[in-house]
Amino acid sequence: MTAVVAAPAAAAVKAPGRRSVVRRLARDPAALLASVFLAAVVLAALLAPWIAPYDPFYTDPSKGMRPPFEDAAYFFGTDAQGRDILSRLLYGTRLTLLMGLVALTMGGILGTAVGIVAAFYRRVDGLLMRVMDVLLSFPAILFGLAIAAITGPGLSPIIIALAIATVPLLARISRSSALVIMQQDYIDAARAVGLVDGAIIWRYLLPNCLSSIFVFSTLRFGQIILIGAALSFLGLGAQPPTAELGTMAANGRDFLFFAPHIATIPSLTIFAIVLAFNVLGDALRDILDPRLRY
Amino acid sequence: MAPPILKVDRLVKHFPVTSGIVISKQVGAVKAVDDISFEVRSGETLALVGESGCGKSTTGRLVLRLLERTSGHVEIDGVDIFSLDRQALRKKRRDMQIIFQDPYASLNPRMTVGDVLAEPLRVHEVASGRALRERVEELLRVVGLAPYHAGRYPHEFSGGQRQRIGIARALAVNPRLIVCDEPVSALDVSIQAQVVNLLQDLQAKYGLSYLFIAHDLAVVKHISDRVAVMYLGKIVELTDKTTLYANPRHPYTQALLSAIPVADPAVPHGRGIIQGDVPSPLNPPSGCRFHTRCPHVQDRCKAEEPAFRDLAPGHQVACHFAEEIAVPDTVRARQSSQISDAYRRRLAAYETKQARRQTAVEETIS
Repeated sequence: MTAVVAAPAAAAVKAPGRRSVVRRLARDPAALLASVFLAAVVLAALLAPWIAPYDPFYTDPSKGMRPPFEDAAYFFGTDAQGRDILSRLLYGTRLTLLMGLVALTMGGILGTAVGIVAAFYRRVDGLLMRVMDVLLSFPAILFGLAIAAITGPGLSPIIIALAIATVPLLARISRSSALVIMQQDYIDAARAVGLVDGAIIWRYLLPNCLSSIFVFSTLRFGQIILIGAALSFLGLGAQPPTAELGTMAANGRDFLFFAPHIATIPSLTIFAIVLAFNVLGDALRDILDPRLRY
Repeated sequence: MAPPILKVDRLVKHFPVTSGIVISKQVGAVKAVDDISFEVRSGETLALVGESGCGKSTTGRLVLRLLERTSGHVEIDGVDIFSLDRQALRKKRRDMQIIFQDPYASLNPRMTVGDVLAEPLRVHEVASGRALRERVEELLRVVGLAPYHAGRYPHEFSGGQRQRIGIARALAVNPRLIVCDEPVSALDVSIQAQVVNLLQDLQAKYGLSYLFIAHDLAVVKHISDRVAVMYLGKIVELTDKTTLYANPRHPYTQALLSAIPVADPAVPHGRGIIQGDVPSPLNPPSGCRFHTRCPHVQDRCKAEEPAFRDLAPGHQVACHFAEEIAVPDTVRARQSSQISDAYRRRLAAYETKQARRQTAVEETIS
């Protein structure tokens, strides 16, 4: 009792069924595999400075374009400048994941805020959602091109473009689940108790929308990485010599016929990460679907 | 007579129906609540009965200003709640609470029961710290739950238990009026009795007034002091319980009462007095709204809307011919339903045993 009333809201939000989510994920082999793979990728990316065998920027033309899996010293071979691909892959994944995370967080928070406000204050609903529709009508690539044209290419304009492209998607998802929650009696109960709007949104509306927002974010993270890599591939993102998966694939494009590994290894990495996020997102949707839970 | 705790005066709620996407214009209005007036006296239970969609729940929500009115007044303790600003309204909410129909939708699944009950206490700064915890425990005990339940989440409880939690939440700030919006409709019959009895005990203990919205006439007969019958957004008859069940004057009330099932094959069944569906509140019938289904309909009913008039002291009816229409046999039969002495004895024995079991359960809980 003592602990319960004093317990912080965050703990209260996550406690029910949290263990069962992990357990149910573990029961789905594909989801389990995806989670383990992603955990390994994240860990490798975080530890890149310590586990990378070489400096990712060190060039040695005499060792250029070594094929993969032949030399234990250069497991994934080397690129045209003789840089170790494994080291660049680790650093590149780090940057790609960071880019995705920052873009998703920015776009997600903003989008969720817009969606929840639109659902709670129906008077601004039409206006807000029409603005979101306008944003939705531009592809992320176009935002990237436009912003890069203004600021010059780099990682920040890509992140901003991806965030902007994510806002309307999350606004729609959070609005639709918030509209369902708004129909629940406990929202009226909170009003009848005399809570202010902010408290109703923060403690009643938002926590109950989180699972669908979370599921969608997982799926969106994969898409963001893909679009971000595409923008980098087009030369709008991280500039050489920075190691980023999309940039690395772009660099290898010229040697596709005689050293295909330079482009394919980072591309396959992107593919695997995106696939894993999609599998995980699908599994989470099945598990966290409120209709199946309560 | 005690002064009214709740006074509803010519309350109207129309939900606009719009069409058009770009330029939306109002094409009509659903007249959910159309000019109703009633009072709830201090310490009494006024039941509001009627079919689904007749505006009962809308009335309940208007009374608490969970919905905005179209016109009319709602006074609680002499204060017009629609004239209050947001701040004052929030303060006033201490006096008026609500119990919902669906115990599965009325509790936030992400909050522990302890937090649910602490919420009103915190909002109205009734208690904090140790006193708050003690009050939460007390509330749980009052509704027949145990203090350790405070740490659990709503989905760990049964429907009846959840409804008790809803009741405890409503009680938390010692309100004077509780709107019970079909509090037992979603529960099993055996649990219904428990919850109804709990509500009655609490009323006696704390001097609560209830606006009891229901469609189950047996429950209403058990709990209410006075009954208002609603049909299509209007109150058609309002009187005390005894008069209503013995001498209903409005044909709609008579039809409702005839339809109560009685576990006695000797009693004639009264189904089929009214046929068809409730007309659309979007376009209610002219004159008396019941004329499309009334067995006693006459020309005057189609043209002229009957006034809600005093038939006798404390008995109001909205029917032109209230004096002339006889109470049908099917209603009368229900009043004097003959149950055999043997059956009555068995029933009494069963009830004593039930009561004893209930006490035993309560003792183990406390």
